[in-house]
Amino acid sequence: MIRLTGMYAHTLQRVTGLGLLLYLFLHVRTIHKLSEGPQAFDEALAFFRHPLFKLGEIALLAAVILHALNGIRITLLDLGHAHGRQASLFWRLTVGAGAVLFLAGAIPMFLFAILKVR
Amino acid sequence: MSSYGVRVARNQGGIGRGYQTFSVELEDRMTVLDALFAVQRDHDPSFTFRCACRVGMCGTCAVSINGIPRLACRTRASSLGAPEIVVAPLPNLPVLKDVAVSMEPFFEQWKRVTPGFRPKHPESKELAIVPASSQYMRMTGGKRDCITCGACFGACGVKATSGEYLGPAAINRALLRLADPRDEAVAPRMKALDSERAGVWRCHTQFNCTAVCPKGISLTDSIVWLKRAMLRRAPFEKLP
Ligand code: SF4
Ligand code: FES
Repeated sequence: MIRLTGMYAHTLQRVTGLGLLLYLFLHVRTIHKLSEGPQAFDEALAFFRHPLFKLGEIALLAAVILHALNGIRITLLDLGHAHGRQASLFWRLTVGAGAVLFLAGAIPMFLFAILKVR
Repeated sequence: MSSYGVRVARNQGGIGRGYQTFSVELEDRMTVLDALFAVQRDHDPSFTFRCACRVGMCGTCAVSINGIPRLACRTRASSLGAPEIVVAPLPNLPVLKDVAVSMEPFFEQWKRVTPGFRPKHPESKELAIVPASSQYMRMTGGKRDCITCGACFGACGVKATSGEYLGPAAINRALLRLADPRDEAVAPRMKALDSERAGVWRCHTQFNCTAVCPKGISLTDSIVWLKRAMLRRAPFEKLP
């Protein structure tokens, strides 16, 4: 893969997109269990109580933020704006603002998970 | 003088033979093209690469340098900031020998957009003047300098997965011809550009082409401009 900013952005958008698709599939499948009654739903939810899924939830937050912010970047570019600044848009908007938003959400999520486990 | 390890791809008869490293001494202002000449002169006269003008005008010397397509004659070795210079053939094109590629697939796509001027009034003896202040000149400023080096073609991630895709340079060429008020061949160009498998819709806005173009042409801008023009069916109203 050619190591240029636009290519990183492109790859990130695909990887997070696939991750979100996988999440969506799991989400719909779990919700669907409701139609089989409360017990089936509770059993399905119990599967996600594993600490690994807590980390997965935090990763999901990262994927949503990166995918959404880069989506805004791509929309701006498709509308013909900021072509000369596409790389700085990626580093500042997608990565920079994305990291701030991620930390704002991930720290409470992490602390809450620890407190709850205890 | 600084010492560099020049790692060059070897290829014979379309078969890759790995890389070979040669030690080369270069002065500060010397380019990667000078390094390739030094390899050929001092180490292996059979080492093959292409060049012509040596001043960034002809576009012949484009190769992949440390993973990025660039003109060898316009890339100073010292600007790479590394003691090793890795030179490989341009990606997405068939290798003829060592780092020399055939530009045939590039020009095959180029031909598909009707790249030549098709005058509206071929019989007219009057000079068709396009003033510098005209919309055409303003809109195409910075897009008219293509030297058909193929760097954008080699850097394009979509081109790597689709032999049919026109590629950035051909699309930019089509835009220049379409926007020219003296030119009349709208329909064949729009047909090529609107093709689902080969046209502008294949572009994923990766910006690799724009990032590597040695002439600083904003190719992605040309492509997205055409996408929007097609959706509006304007300003090329003559489209059937
Ligand atoms: S558009 Fe730029 S990179 Fe592409 S062929 Fe022309 S000069 Fe080379
Ligand atoms: S030799 Fe002509 S552009 Fe490099």
